[in-house]
Amino acid sequence: MFAELDPILHSQLRLAIISLLIGVKEAEFTFIKEKTNSTAGNLSVQIQKLKDAGYIDVVKEFKDNYPNTTCKITSKGIAAFETYVNALQQYLKVQKP
Amino acid sequence: MAEDKQLNPQESLQLITETIQKAKGGFHETGVSAILWGSVVSIAGLVSFVEVYFNFYIGFDIWLIVLAAIIPQIFISIKENKNKKVIAHDEKFLDATWMVYGISIFALIFYINIVPGVSEQMITHYDNSQLFTKNITTNELTIWKPYIFSQSSLYLILFSIPTLVTGIARKFKPMLLGGLFCLVFFITSCYTTNLWDMLLLALAGIFNWLIPGLILRSRFLKGKTC
Repeated sequence: MFAELDPILHSQLRLAIISLLIGVKEAEFTFIKEKTNSTAGNLSVQIQKLKDAGYIDVVKEFKDNYPNTTCKITSKGIAAFETYVNALQQYLKVQKP
Repeated sequence: MAEDKQLNPQESLQLITETIQKAKGGFHETGVSAILWGSVVSIAGLVSFVEVYFNFYIGFDIWLIVLAAIIPQIFISIKENKNKKVIAHDEKFLDATWMVYGISIFALIFYINIVPGVSEQMITHYDNSQLFTKNITTNELTIWKPYIFSQSSLYLILFSIPTLVTGIARKFKPMLLGGLFCLVFFITSCYTTNLWDMLLLALAGIFNWLIPGLILRSRFLKGKTC
């Protein structure tokens, strides 16, 4: 039996966000936007979905009088990412002849 | 990037790999601090070497520029922290390493300046003794003032520690090699006179920080223009 792929992570932009955050301690919204080549509106929606799932922490504050959003992966997010990658590996093993 | 594009397992894995690589390229240091300290230490070392070699004095202790460099470093750190969009996992650990290194340098300066005087006092007051050197040709006795032998060796070994840690942690070969060169300079300095030690300090500044700093700077500027 295959483990079902986590629907929260199994979308292009959300997976990219989590993959970015797994490699760093924390990242600003502008950094994620730049690295994922996404629009601000789309990125905000996907970040909110990840936050609602408890996969990331979002801190909104002011930096030099401008609003600044910082994202950080949670332990729940790390566990979900690991499970997702393990499930992917299972699928890929079976697909190999 | 599409919002909810469904991926097949291979596409997912490729996306994860590519994004992790992108994140790795996202936290290039600006290299400004390394260039600053590399320049300051190499200039001070070279000037000291030239002073001793040609037997002249420029009018002030050139190593004071190392102390003066703390002021621009404070401004550089504040500016870089303001502009930082991402924090790497090892950032706090490396910051702590460099901070402890800075404290250790000051502790070493204190040790080098204090210990000879204290040693002399101890010998004179507690042992009621005085140290002399004897000229083996003329048999003339001269009072010997204690001092720390091969002081530069102590600086060189200290220089190598944070540089090696950073080089290993960040897998940054120029700094790793710089740190290893510094260890070689340390061993060499144990056998050389003060004159050549000054040159070794200058070389340490160039290999430890100036060259890695210039490489970091070039990478940072390339990343900005991409």
